[in-house]
Amino acid sequence: MNSLVIMLLIYFAGAILVYAANKFSAVLRDVIVVLAGLLPVALFFSIPAFEAFQFRIAGFDLFWDLGSLAYIFEALVVVVGAASLVYAISYMKGKKNLGYFYMNFFLSLGSMTGILMSQDLISFFIFWEIMTWSSYFIVVFNGYKTNKIGLTYIFFSALGAYAMLTAIVMINTQTGSTMWNDFFIAFAGMSSHYQLLISILFIFGFGVKAAMMPLHIWAADAYSHSPMAYTATFSGVLSKMGVYGLALVMIKLALVSNHFVFSQVIAWLGAVTAALATIYALIQKDIRKLLAYSSVAQLGYIITGIAVGTAMSFMAGIYLAVLHGLFKAALFMVAGAVEKQAGTTDMHKLRALIRKMPLTFITAMVAIIALAGIPPLGGFVGKWMLYESLIGSNHYFLVIVIFFSSTAAFLYAYRFLYGIFLGQEEEEFAHVKEAPLMMLIPMLFFTVLLIVTGTFPGIILGPVANAMNHGMGFRGVQWEMSVLTNVYGDSIHLSVISTIVVVVFIVFALFLILKGRKGTRYVTTKDIANSGEPVRPEDNYHFALDFYKPFERAMAPLYRFKMSEIYGNISDGLVSFFQFTRRLYSGNGQTYVYYVLLFIVILLVFSNQLINR
Amino acid sequence: MVISPIHYVAIPLLVAFLIPLVAKIGKNWARILPGLTLAYLNFVSVYLMTKVQETGIISESVGGWDAPVGINLVFSPLSGLLVSLITGIGFLVWLYSYQFKNVEKNESQKYFTLLLMLITGANGVILTGDIFNMFVFMEITAISAYALTAFYRHRNGAEAAFKYLLIGSLASTFMLLAIMLLYAQVGTLNMADIASKMDQVSSGMKVTIFILFLTGFGIEAEMFPLNGWAPDAYTEAPGPIGAVFASAVVKAGVYAMARVVFTLFGYGDSPVEILIIMGVITMAIAEFSAFRQEKLKRMLAYSSIGQMGLVIAAFGLGTKAGVFAALFIMVNHALIKSLLFLSGTYMVYHSKEKLIAELNGMAKELPVTAALFAFGALAIAGFPPFSGFWSKVYFLIAAADQKMVFLIIMVLLVTTVEVLYYFKVINRMYFHKPEMELEYRRPSTNALISMFVLTAVILWISFFPDTVMGYIDAAANDLVNRAGYINLVLNR
Repeated sequence: MNSLVIMLLIYFAGAILVYAANKFSAVLRDVIVVLAGLLPVALFFSIPAFEAFQFRIAGFDLFWDLGSLAYIFEALVVVVGAASLVYAISYMKGKKNLGYFYMNFFLSLGSMTGILMSQDLISFFIFWEIMTWSSYFIVVFNGYKTNKIGLTYIFFSALGAYAMLTAIVMINTQTGSTMWNDFFIAFAGMSSHYQLLISILFIFGFGVKAAMMPLHIWAADAYSHSPMAYTATFSGVLSKMGVYGLALVMIKLALVSNHFVFSQVIAWLGAVTAALATIYALIQKDIRKLLAYSSVAQLGYIITGIAVGTAMSFMAGIYLAVLHGLFKAALFMVAGAVEKQAGTTDMHKLRALIRKMPLTFITAMVAIIALAGIPPLGGFVGKWMLYESLIGSNHYFLVIVIFFSSTAAFLYAYRFLYGIFLGQEEEEFAHVKEAPLMMLIPMLFFTVLLIVTGTFPGIILGPVANAMNHGMGFRGVQWEMSVLTNVYGDSIHLSVISTIVVVVFIVFALFLILKGRKGTRYVTTKDIANSGEPVRPEDNYHFALDFYKPFERAMAPLYRFKMSEIYGNISDGLVSFFQFTRRLYSGNGQTYVYYVLLFIVILLVFSNQLINR
Repeated sequence: MVISPIHYVAIPLLVAFLIPLVAKIGKNWARILPGLTLAYLNFVSVYLMTKVQETGIISESVGGWDAPVGINLVFSPLSGLLVSLITGIGFLVWLYSYQFKNVEKNESQKYFTLLLMLITGANGVILTGDIFNMFVFMEITAISAYALTAFYRHRNGAEAAFKYLLIGSLASTFMLLAIMLLYAQVGTLNMADIASKMDQVSSGMKVTIFILFLTGFGIEAEMFPLNGWAPDAYTEAPGPIGAVFASAVVKAGVYAMARVVFTLFGYGDSPVEILIIMGVITMAIAEFSAFRQEKLKRMLAYSSIGQMGLVIAAFGLGTKAGVFAALFIMVNHALIKSLLFLSGTYMVYHSKEKLIAELNGMAKELPVTAALFAFGALAIAGFPPFSGFWSKVYFLIAAADQKMVFLIIMVLLVTTVEVLYYFKVINRMYFHKPEMELEYRRPSTNALISMFVLTAVILWISFFPDTVMGYIDAAANDLVNRAGYINLVLNR
């Protein structure tokens, strides 16, 4: 049987089986979860080439095949999906409705696989919508503010999906086909307003999932209030479906080369998204919220990279997308571990978990290094390429905005690490233990993966370059396993840097261990030498409180600008309009008769215009 | 006895009047006999649908007088499809109502008599080839619907029935007026005959008659602003009757409207703007109103109106693709809305107010019913891979072929609202904590079976849409092929 179909079947059958198994036994359920999660990984990496699959339903030809760009994202889906599922087993232990949770989890993994293998628009849309509703059902899983968070999510998703559907039916009318490829070919021949309309509709649709300004307001809440096991996949992979779509549309439709203004607008939207989301990430006190905003910001870089559309920036965008999938999954898993073990994710409460959860800390640290773009890990590589491509293509103002947000990202990254793991200890958290093994395995797996891909970025860059050369229409894209170069002839050997960093790290660690042998005194927050001055309650606040007060003060005008308020006003307006239409049905029979008479009189008066033939 | 389309009308009408007599023999017979009747009619559907595929349209003259002099029944792929749908859902509603509230008690005779009358009427409207006959059947449908609305003899039911009666009598007035004017112009009542003579009518008179028909059938088809009766009637009628309203009464109205537009007037060869505009307005206003509803059945009623607006707009496109989409939506809507009504009813079974707010946490108490409702909500909102999606895509494609981008965008924006209010209900059922004592009743086995059958059919259409699309395609061909209909009925 066709291997693509088998992958889909594993996920979708897994969804049903796990739901059924949950009724019988928890062990059976967990076994199925792990099996159905890991099997696609084995299958995906053991099969050298996937063959196409084609069938016909409801008068549409559906055509499945895994393109070279989709291959990269599919790798992310299977790997992050499997890791999240393994993580979920411990993380979700003791919660209710697990059959339902895993079912939707598998459905969304299956639908993502489906999206990536769809070569035609109809199955693309079908899987897209399955992804939307299955992820919705997990977003509201915790039952927290379902109407606000959940409905915002489904509203934006539906709006985006319907924009896409409009584009799809228009393409069908224009080309008489629902294949992506026919569309790409026919696009150049369409009239210019169709070109514009179709591209805007697609970018709107994908922009929602990629949390692009101003369509991002669902993202922070939805990411932070889903169970963390799912958010790892949700923010890490599911948002990348929007990126994948944007990449397809921006490059294949030649929007970059033929519609310069268009690509500039998208690139700027990405950069503004990155800047604003970073600023918002800074003032969050909940680590889940912080990570959620950080996800939005990172997606902003990715969008900019893709929209600028030179070979280098595109490569940087896709590379960052993959990398973001890995480190953000790891970070959300860290957040989940902290939530599970310490009982809170509030940075104003959490203190000094480093000695209690050392392995979690290491994961967090490595992922943060990757996020912040510090050498030797992957973020550095991605940002290097992004900056260089932006400078090389004369986007100097974009570089400034990106550079600003990436620097500001240091601030929240540092706060994340410091707020949870460092500082003085607190008795309240004395009982906290390291996360269970099943949660640590995926976390450490990501740690190793991040270090490896940071030292040898070619592992990711190779497939990306392959996708660009075969399929995306770029010519002669070069890549190297572990060396970065720029147009000025400088080059950086990452493996050397890694070696140096590792050596320094080991030396420093040895030094600390030797020094620490003499005995380190751990100070709790209550252990304060007050030198005669009484400690007032407000002094005993956590240091994470108002961590970046001066920065916040400097940025105050930006914080006043809230997209959600604008949307709030719009939705209030709409709701009152709905109330008005509802009032039309007054419940009074006489009014209804009056409507009928009015209707017929108006029609009779205008009967000449009514049927004009 | 030879199986013929007349059975659809004659047998349920006969049984309806036999019920009081049979009840003298044994109380239970009054409940069982309608089921047997409807089961037989479903058998007739299967038989005739296969036959019509082989031999083409079956035109049956009543009383030995051929058309255009006598009255004839036309079992075409179109009328066959709708009649099969109505009798199928009629049977499921019977199964569902077998142990339903007052129906269990002495009221069952009245309930089932009226139900059979209603199905007779709806079948008649769809099958008949005679315009006056259609009016008569429309009256039978409407009168039994009024009576069913007031079935629970309390104040609100009576009020709703009265409103329905008020508007319904206007509908019959306009219909009758239109038929009179038409008869004065062409001197015949047979629809095929009228159609062939339509070019004799002056264009001013033609439009006037059309407006009268549009208003008359528009009332039954729930077109804005003629649909004031609908929310009240749906809310106050017994739960399963809501399903019948959505799948039989309204469908008959929409069918009649489409028949008049396409066959009688032949307007179908280019877009009928008035239908598109009124359809979209109907849909928009209904879905917006549904968003603000507090009662479950009222919300479903508005949602039903909204879907009908979509159907009317789809017919208005005038192309075969538009008709195909309209019929596909009608089929899906009949099935899915019935499922929603049937499952929703048990969740607010004992509740006085039947508020949506009372559904909080219902999924814990009634997991199966809630799951079926949620499934129905996903399907009707057009989420793939469920069946509502296919019909929506076909509608959009038909609209895109006519270059009506604005129509597409309007419909999709309105659909977003629909998505929101259905998800609000799902959220309440699954993720909210109950605030008060839940007023529900566990569905009886027969009710569960009928809901499962509906679900199975919807799932079947979702994953194997091709199996029904053939029938719908034939039906759409039938409606747009005006000359074929005329020639066949008049034996030319």
